[in-house]
Amino acid sequence: MSEATQSSAAVNVAPVRFSPRRVWTLAYATMTQLMRMKILPFLLLFCVLVAAMGFGFSTINPEQQLSQFKTMSLGVLQVFSIVFGIVATALLLPKDLDDRTLYTILSKPVPRFDYLLGKLLGVLMLIASGLVIIDAVLSLILWLQQSMLFDAAVSQLHSEKQDTPEAVAQMREIVARQGLTWNLHWAVWAIFLKAAVVTTVALLLSCIASSTLFTIVIAFCITIIGHGHAMIREFVLQPNLSSASVRIASFLLAAICPDLAQFDVVDSVANGEVIPWTAVYEMTGIAALYMTVYLFVTHLVFVEKEL
Amino acid sequence: MSDTPAVSVNHLTKVFKGSLGKGAFRAVHDVSLTVKPGEVYGLIGPNGSGKSTTMKVILGLLNATEGDTRIFGIPSTEVASRRSVGFLPENPYFYKHLNGRETLHFYGKLCGMTGDHLKSRAEEMLALTGLEDAATRRVGGFSKGMLQRLGLAQALIHEPQLLVLDEPTAGVDPSGSRIIRDLIIEFRSRGITVLVTSHLLEQMQEVCDRVGIMAHGRMVREGRLDELIAVENQTEMVLENASPDLLAKINALVKAEGGGTRLLRSGHPRTTLERLFLEATNEPKKP
Ligand SMILES: Nc1ncnc2c1ncn2[C@@H]1O[C@H](COP(=O)(O)OP(=O)(O)OP(=O)(O)O)[C@@H](O)[C@H]1O
Ligand SMILES: [Mg+2]
Repeated sequence: MSEATQSSAAVNVAPVRFSPRRVWTLAYATMTQLMRMKILPFLLLFCVLVAAMGFGFSTINPEQQLSQFKTMSLGVLQVFSIVFGIVATALLLPKDLDDRTLYTILSKPVPRFDYLLGKLLGVLMLIASGLVIIDAVLSLILWLQQSMLFDAAVSQLHSEKQDTPEAVAQMREIVARQGLTWNLHWAVWAIFLKAAVVTTVALLLSCIASSTLFTIVIAFCITIIGHGHAMIREFVLQPNLSSASVRIASFLLAAICPDLAQFDVVDSVANGEVIPWTAVYEMTGIAALYMTVYLFVTHLVFVEKEL
Repeated sequence: MSDTPAVSVNHLTKVFKGSLGKGAFRAVHDVSLTVKPGEVYGLIGPNGSGKSTTMKVILGLLNATEGDTRIFGIPSTEVASRRSVGFLPENPYFYKHLNGRETLHFYGKLCGMTGDHLKSRAEEMLALTGLEDAATRRVGGFSKGMLQRLGLAQALIHEPQLLVLDEPTAGVDPSGSRIIRDLIIEFRSRGITVLVTSHLLEQMQEVCDRVGIMAHGRMVREGRLDELIAVENQTEMVLENASPDLLAKINALVKAEGGGTRLLRSGHPRTTLERLFLEATNEPKKP
């Protein structure tokens, strides 16, 4: 036994397998670590801001008011979640490296992939829980506003002596379409997906450079470029492009950056359009695909990384 | 099975690449060493001689530039090699939002431990390292010596067969460092292999079965401690309360004896490992 072990390079030992429990341990530690960074007050601030916004608009007409409220709050929410995803991820890895916590973690039988996935999940779980809370707050505000606006509209119809049953029913339908529907939750889900993709990109960057500033700056650039993905593609495909190098450069850019416009549903939600199920599935699938690819590349980089 | 070395390092060379290809630095140069199961191996050397670097390669935290390292026969590049290893890095640090107990639970869970077994083991380790009082305090407020003790506790949490300790007594008070020394002796009696570095040569001399002395990234001496520090053709006399008169007489006797006998030095005796250390590491640097 011992001779065989020493002479042959390939030793037969059971490899350490991927363990969901271990990933959960790491993710949970990451989440609590981030919570300690005083994030809750920001969340509260956001809720208060949104609530103030919701009731602060002058009444133009109920439809517009609801629509405006959704556009504004969802827009702010999107920015918040992306900023949080990027900054949190950019802080985590360099911190573990500087503190040498990474030494003690990776000198346990912990595959590096488990560590990466744990970090990513920790950040995503925190974003998700924040979004769930905010989704609930938004739903409540929207629902309150909806009934308030409906009552106001009905009393106005009444004073104008036009409150026929048909008119009231029509008003109810208009308000309901702009009020609280599943669309709101889908929009929040889309916001989460976009933030998740951007967070994965930030993780990759942070593995390449292990510098917080670099990660933040480049991740924001990629986020911005990602929103103009369609433009780059058009540019690449136009037949009379002056130079090949420009074409190759933009092609690479398009290949590296995720197409974030795929997740822009806020406008249609604000317009009261119904988001079909298939669109939700498609969005989720695209996000999962992006994340898998980025995480795979991140793993390739991280496995070879010198700590 | 028992013939498989606990740690084997084969012609290890580690070069740190500088930025943009400039300033590459050879931290470890063709180092080989073998730690047999159950022994305490001390790695000593001046600051920057590559001890910590060697340990990090053994634990798979750094990649070897040349050569290879194995733990119980499994290459360090495989995660499975770390199943039964406890590592205490130099100046360890932990998540500062956790308290002492939570930290041990965290590391235990990473090793796949769960439930009551983990809980009782964590309490045991807190007691062993004298951290009971700090169990509910945040690690962010730990002193240097407390961090070191916690580092030792987390290294031991999963009852490893091999302990790799990088300066376990750094920053620990005298009684604490005595406890750590006693612990190492106890580990050896339980058959646990220990690879340890320290600058406290007196303690190293007490606990180590074998030592390797590194200087400038090379192994300059290696072997059993008792063989290394025994100088066959020299005799040491340690006198207490000797008067200058007596010393002069002894001196005269030695001179009168003639032949090959010479008095090399007299004075207060030093730790012999220390003497060896200074001798070995002050040899002219090889190219
Ligand atoms: N990540 C790194 N990049 C570049 N050089 C490094 C790196 N880590 C260590 N070195 C260099 O390698 C050499 C050996 O370092 P190492 O930490 O192994 O020394 P040591 O023997 O542990 O010293 P000490 O007794 O001070 O702990 C040092 O000159 C150090 O500057
Ligand atoms: Mg060191």
